[in-house]
Amino acid sequence: MEAPAPSEGFHTTRWSQVAAAGGDDAAARTALEALCARYGYPLYAFARRKGAGAAEAEDLVQGLFTRLIEKRELRGLAREKGRFRSFLLAALQHHWANERDREQALRRGGGALVRAVDLAGADERFAREPARELTPEQHFERAWALEVLRVATGRLAEEYRASGRAELFEALKGELEGAHVPHAEVAATLGLSPGAVKVAAHRLRERFGTTLRALVADTVASPAAVEAELGALLRALEAGNSAAAL
Amino acid sequence: MTDATPCPRCGAPRTPAESPQGLCPRCLLAESLGVEGSVVLSAVTPTEPPPTVAELAPHLPQLALEGLLARGGMGAVYRATQKNLARPVALKVLDRAIAARPGFTERFEREARALARLTHPNIVTVHEHGTSGPYTWLVMELVDGASLRHLMRQGRVAPREALAIVVQVCEALQFAHDQGVVHRDVKPENILVDRRGRVKILDFGLAKVLGRDTDSFTRTSQVLGTPHYMAPEQWERPLEVDHRADIFALGVVFYELLTGELPMGRFAPPSQKVALDVRLDGVVLRALEKEPELRYQQASEVKTDVERIRGTERGAVPEPTAGKAPAAAPTARGRRRAQEERLQARRDERESVRGRRGPVAALRSGLDELLRGVPSPVRLLIGLHMLFLILAALLALVASTGFDF
Repeated sequence: MEAPAPSEGFHTTRWSQVAAAGGDDAAARTALEALCARYGYPLYAFARRKGAGAAEAEDLVQGLFTRLIEKRELRGLAREKGRFRSFLLAALQHHWANERDREQALRRGGGALVRAVDLAGADERFAREPARELTPEQHFERAWALEVLRVATGRLAEEYRASGRAELFEALKGELEGAHVPHAEVAATLGLSPGAVKVAAHRLRERFGTTLRALVADTVASPAAVEAELGALLRALEAGNSAAAL
Repeated sequence: MTDATPCPRCGAPRTPAESPQGLCPRCLLAESLGVEGSVVLSAVTPTEPPPTVAELAPHLPQLALEGLLARGGMGAVYRATQKNLARPVALKVLDRAIAARPGFTERFEREARALARLTHPNIVTVHEHGTSGPYTWLVMELVDGASLRHLMRQGRVAPREALAIVVQVCEALQFAHDQGVVHRDVKPENILVDRRGRVKILDFGLAKVLGRDTDSFTRTSQVLGTPHYMAPEQWERPLEVDHRADIFALGVVFYELLTGELPMGRFAPPSQKVALDVRLDGVVLRALEKEPELRYQQASEVKTDVERIRGTERGAVPEPTAGKAPAAAPTARGRRRAQEERLQARRDERESVRGRRGPVAALRSGLDELLRGVPSPVRLLIGLHMLFLILAALLALVASTGFDF
């Protein structure tokens, strides 16, 4: 379930909605479910980096989301004005500490573990990640940033595909990363005028900016924090890059 | 196992799994964040769309408006020309929601007059200000360049350039502080660097006009940009903030320039993150002292220490610095010195650019300088002669090792 793209001047975000409702509101719980489903992998990767095995990491993430969603452990969240990203990481660490204290049997005995998030393929994906000299927290932030970009570009590609403009997207997507796309060649290949290609390229960049910001807006306390969060995500990616270059 | 390949643009290694739609994640984000144009506002989502040129024009007949340059949390910036002087300028129109805040008009009038007095080569000059119809605006010097944030994102700030930038920021801050003006919002977005490498600080004192750090702070926190540059006392005792809050923010910018990271939590000294002169640690950490009393008390002191480190790095004699009182106004000698320093900064930048081009290019430009003024036929002869000498030396070396061809 996706919320409509927020328009100019929107004043609530999904996360602020969740935080404000403190888990009592059905709509807020749905919003939280959608958010959790999107950011399961970064948490999973964090747990793995912290030394958890594949099964344990999955249990931890599923367990956390179950607690958050089903058991309404969201009271007191109204005070939580920060980023969803920071909240989730803190919640996982808290949950993990609790789980360690508790008996393993108790955790497994209940059998009530709901699969709140799809982590199929997470283990394989984790194994493919290149080694980087990063802390588990930095890994988490990096994975989060990649997840945001994966969803944003995926959504945009789907939008273009659904409206029969898949070729245009493929031809122009390099614009999004600042690559030099020869408009004249694209125009010749797709049978468009150079002017139309230029306009399409501009629209694509604009559309990506909107899609990305709408996605990020869901995870921060107020729309005003979006740009700062984007900056933080960029720094997270750059930290990973400089570490990999060592 | 890694199948990472470097991005052709930023050089960052990435695997196919980390490349959404086959694109470089770093460049994707940097592109969508990058603010092109001459004036960059603090990056905050605006609350309402900016007025169009057509809407503004009837209220500002003295200006020929050319178009929107950038928009941000405070409002929007337009490129324009002052008709009577044919001077290109930047017009900043403040967001109407901001202008509607209680006490805004008086505060704006008072502060804008103080800002107009800040004439300094490293401060963006405010030419004119006023309120016309529903719009509150400032006409400013147009800077042909980019913000430090933009340059940092592009990874274009080498440590040597960072020092040259910090020195200029110190000069601007010291000048403003001597006039009794505190910036209150020093951050990379507000530090512009023009095409000649000259620093221009933007939005001096505007934070105060906007009431960001007064009791209205909590109510208006949605327009607060990134809080990472705020001194601890700015959070705790916003009404008692003095110029030392700017020195803390300068410390944050300095740390970020050197390491690419923000000094958050228990952070490591810069030299533990990157290869640097360890003496810079002392400067950065002292600017970042939590207690204002323990910090540098004057921006000029930061500048003195940075310059001493720069100077001795090049093997120059350190200047005596102790107890130098900041000048109240720039004297002729001071201006001359400032001019010399800027020239030096520019020379430094050229040097660092040369350094980045690699050893072959550096050797070539070194040779070019050596042979400057020598006619090209003679150059050719010298070149052939050197080539011959090198070949002869190589042959002699091979012969002496007794290697049998």
